[in-house]
Amino acid sequence: MNYPVWDVSFGIGILMAIVSVTHVFVSHFAVGGGLFLVLTERKAYRENDQTLLEWLIRHTKFFVLVTVVFGAVSGVGIWFTIGLIHPSGTSSLIHSYVWGWAIEWVFFFLEITAALLYLYGWKKMDRALHEKIGWIYFGAAFMSMVIINGIITFMLTPGKWIQTHAFWDGFFNPTYWPSLFIRFIFALALAGIYALITGTWQKDEALKGTVVKWSARWVIPAFVVLPLVAWWYIHSVPAHVWASAAGKMPTATRYANIIVIFSIITFVLSLITLLKPRKIPFVYSLVIVATAFMTMWGFEFVREAIRKPYIIYDYMYGNSVFKEAVPGSAGMDVASLDANGVLKVAKWIRPESREITEENQLSVGREIFRVECQSCHTVDGYRSIRKIVNKKKWGFSSIYSRLGLLDKMFNGVMPPFAGTEKEKTALALYLASLSTVQETEEAAVAPKISGKEVFEQHCSDCHEAAPDDPLFEFMKQYDVAKISYFITRLDSLNEEMPPYEGSEDAREILAKWIHEQFK
Amino acid sequence: MGNLPLIPAADPMPLPAPLWLFKVLLLVTFLLHIIVMNFLLGGGVIAIVARWRGAKDEKFARLSRDLSKKIPSLLAATITLGVAPLLFLQVLYGQLFYTSSVIMAWPWFMVVVILTIAYYGYYLVAFKDQKNNAAVLGWVLIGSVFLTFLVGFIYTNNLTLMLTPEKWGKIYFQDPSGWNLNLTEGMLLPRYLHFMVASLAIGAFLLILSGLYRWKRDVENARFLIQYGGKWFMYSTMVQFLVGIWFLIALPKEKMMIFMGENLLATIAMLAGILLALAAIFVMSGALRKEDPRKGAITAMSLIGVVLVLMVIMRDALRDAYLAPYFKLSDLAVKTQFGVLLLFLVLFVGGILVWIWMMKKYFFGAQAAALKE
Ligand code: HEC
Ligand code: HEC
Ligand code: HEM
Repeated sequence: MNYPVWDVSFGIGILMAIVSVTHVFVSHFAVGGGLFLVLTERKAYRENDQTLLEWLIRHTKFFVLVTVVFGAVSGVGIWFTIGLIHPSGTSSLIHSYVWGWAIEWVFFFLEITAALLYLYGWKKMDRALHEKIGWIYFGAAFMSMVIINGIITFMLTPGKWIQTHAFWDGFFNPTYWPSLFIRFIFALALAGIYALITGTWQKDEALKGTVVKWSARWVIPAFVVLPLVAWWYIHSVPAHVWASAAGKMPTATRYANIIVIFSIITFVLSLITLLKPRKIPFVYSLVIVATAFMTMWGFEFVREAIRKPYIIYDYMYGNSVFKEAVPGSAGMDVASLDANGVLKVAKWIRPESREITEENQLSVGREIFRVECQSCHTVDGYRSIRKIVNKKKWGFSSIYSRLGLLDKMFNGVMPPFAGTEKEKTALALYLASLSTVQETEEAAVAPKISGKEVFEQHCSDCHEAAPDDPLFEFMKQYDVAKISYFITRLDSLNEEMPPYEGSEDAREILAKWIHEQFK
Repeated sequence: MGNLPLIPAADPMPLPAPLWLFKVLLLVTFLLHIIVMNFLLGGGVIAIVARWRGAKDEKFARLSRDLSKKIPSLLAATITLGVAPLLFLQVLYGQLFYTSSVIMAWPWFMVVVILTIAYYGYYLVAFKDQKNNAAVLGWVLIGSVFLTFLVGFIYTNNLTLMLTPEKWGKIYFQDPSGWNLNLTEGMLLPRYLHFMVASLAIGAFLLILSGLYRWKRDVENARFLIQYGGKWFMYSTMVQFLVGIWFLIALPKEKMMIFMGENLLATIAMLAGILLALAAIFVMSGALRKEDPRKGAITAMSLIGVVLVLMVIMRDALRDAYLAPYFKLSDLAVKTQFGVLLLFLVLFVGGILVWIWMMKKYFFGAQAAALKE
């Protein structure tokens, strides 16, 4: 809307996912690992274990190479990437939380300095000073998590900020505390998991045994507590936000299941290390790294998925349209766009596309797609719209009627279409031009089609094949003939529903299929 | 705002502190970023040259080793000190900066990838340098230094593209996929070279500073460092005069005029900068002829410190001159968030104190002193 869209054919979302998940996996290690270093240093001195100490010096090097290098650069990377993908959202985060970021930077600065001094200090500092530097490192790293957590959770649950726009209202928001605990516990687990990597690499079996046992003590309790905190987290997410992850929106559910499955696997694998700690092979630690990675990945993706359609919940949609006008939003909210038109208000429209004519409808439609849809879809790559319209065999009229209902589809993962009727038509024409289905064919889809397929094609955007879905709740009282009749009158059943636009035959098949379900 | 339909509207959220505070923070943190960036790049080039000369002369081999060990930490500092101006730049000029970044999205995104590769390259050289792999690691060092220069080039592309909204539409609509740079910009090359040549001059200070630190323990080596660094400083600053003139005349006339009296502050900054830089060369060349060059070297470095401040002010005046037709910072609404601002200032000062304490303990602590042999 306000900014140009980086037009990447495979989908910018993927890039964001790669950068952020790898960063998260390393930056949590940077927090937990700091505590691990100082506590292990103390343990080694207390038990007078010289080999453990020497391992810890090597582990520190590994730690710095992973966190100071990759952690810091990928953190800058996230910033670069979200600035490229969601300039408006980034701008909001920066402008509302400048001082949060600035405080974060102070800790970041201390963190990096302390990490390097801790590494080089092994040779140069006395014991007490070295431990002090280690504590400063951990303190700074922990504090930077405390700050960043406020800003990240703000995006999902901005709480009272929506009304007040006040710093602390958004910062200490409903998911702040549970999210902080999840992150910290995960950070502790990762400290142990990364230590397994360098630990299992050791040839000296006694040393290996010590490190593995000690590391498992970080991982196992963490994975016991994690489900509890996750439960707390889920319960502090407002119900309507969570609903989309709880079963109606398939993607989020899949990620939620991933969390459960992989945290159990990680837990079990870590328990097994205790059976023969001296014999654990290096690859085994890599497997644990992978399963922990999947857990974290699931967590991050659920968060991303349930935040849809917003970039900042209840404030700005994923495509940078404001939910409601705020002073300075420059007419880029849904209502104003409906009234004035995307082509007039959006900044990055070709000059020749500002007016719709007979000739330019398709190319204008393409531009509307770029500014309104491309933050989540692509033409041919990730979440390809061409694939969607072809799979569903939609023609112009099906698409047109659905554009009016985007925010109802898939339990509301999409913002509503914002723009005038003419613009909606242009977009629908463009999308229909991607479809191989002709308008006349659309009504006469092959009669061999199964009921499930008709359902997928016409109803599954908004309904789920589940007994508690309103569709089935309602239809189960009736016989096939009545069901078939209701299908012709969907828009009068509920005004939010588009009319059924398939063929007569397909309708009969669908009616029969619905009738047979969930008996 | 602006007379071009493409320029994005400024963010609806008001600035959470007065404009001047953000300006000061931007310029101060940028100056720090640029100084360590100079150390990094200049140090990298000198490390390469010294490595090559080190085949015949152990002094140089040692210098190269010393520098190679410092470079990873300098890169860490460059990045860390880059984050702060990146924040404040987005606060003040976000709508321009995000746009130019999106237009050249791929090169901009690649900065992160390039940095990661260069970073690991530097660490490889710092940690694994031995006789048997010297040739390979020499090339790794050259590769990493090259990549670091490339990062600087991408920065100059973006920061100049951001100043010229009139060019945006043409570039973007021709290729919205982000495979763009700002190569048609007249000031691009001289501006970039201005930064890179400065890196050689300021990077040389790294040698001088090491020399000063070592003076008491190893006079001979320390004198060599100051001498050699002093020469790097003098010759590259001479070259800088040519590059600087090129930069000035590459500017469009009305922008050049701000340094010719139109903007008093910018004009004085430029004149004073030139004079002080000349003075620094003279002082340095005098110092190098002395038995104990320390005093002169310190004076020259301090003069250049002032020059850097002046250059940062000039650069800022130039930016505002470029943007004047489109955008005035003073149009931004302000609504100060006093509580958090205060918290930041307290933590900032506290952070600096802790930082100084750590550095002091590390470099000048009792243990460190004992280890100085
Ligand atoms: C905030 C992100 C977002 C935006 C913006 C967005 N969508 Fe979607 N869209 C989604 C998601 C998520 C899905 C569900 C895909 C899935 O789960 O398979 C979806 C699904 C769809 C579907 C249905 C696919 C099906 O299988 O039935 C259509 C059609 C669609 N989008 C069109 C659009 C159009 C047209 C626009 C622009 C006006 C748009 N979307 C904007 C996120 C978005
Ligand atoms: C664009 C979204 C959308 C599509 C497509 C859609 N529906 Fe619906 N439908 C809705 C909404 C929204 C409701 C109301 C849900 C509620 O009350 O929670 C609804 C409710 C219903 C109900 C219950 C009505 C009532 O009064 O309780 C039936 C029956 C139904 N839909 C059938 C269908 C059938 C059959 C199809 C496919 C041919 C279909 N719908 C396609 C959005 C849609
Ligand atoms: C190590 C590689 C880097 C090099 C060689 C480098 C070099 C440069 C150069 C040459 C400029 C000035 C460009 C111009 O004005 O034409 C610059 C500006 C800047 N750099 Fe860096 N940089 C590096 C890394 C970074 C990183 C990692 C960040 C951020 C995290 C950063 C943040 C900035 C910012 C914000 C500016 C502009 C400040 C302003 O315009 O006021 N730099 N850098």
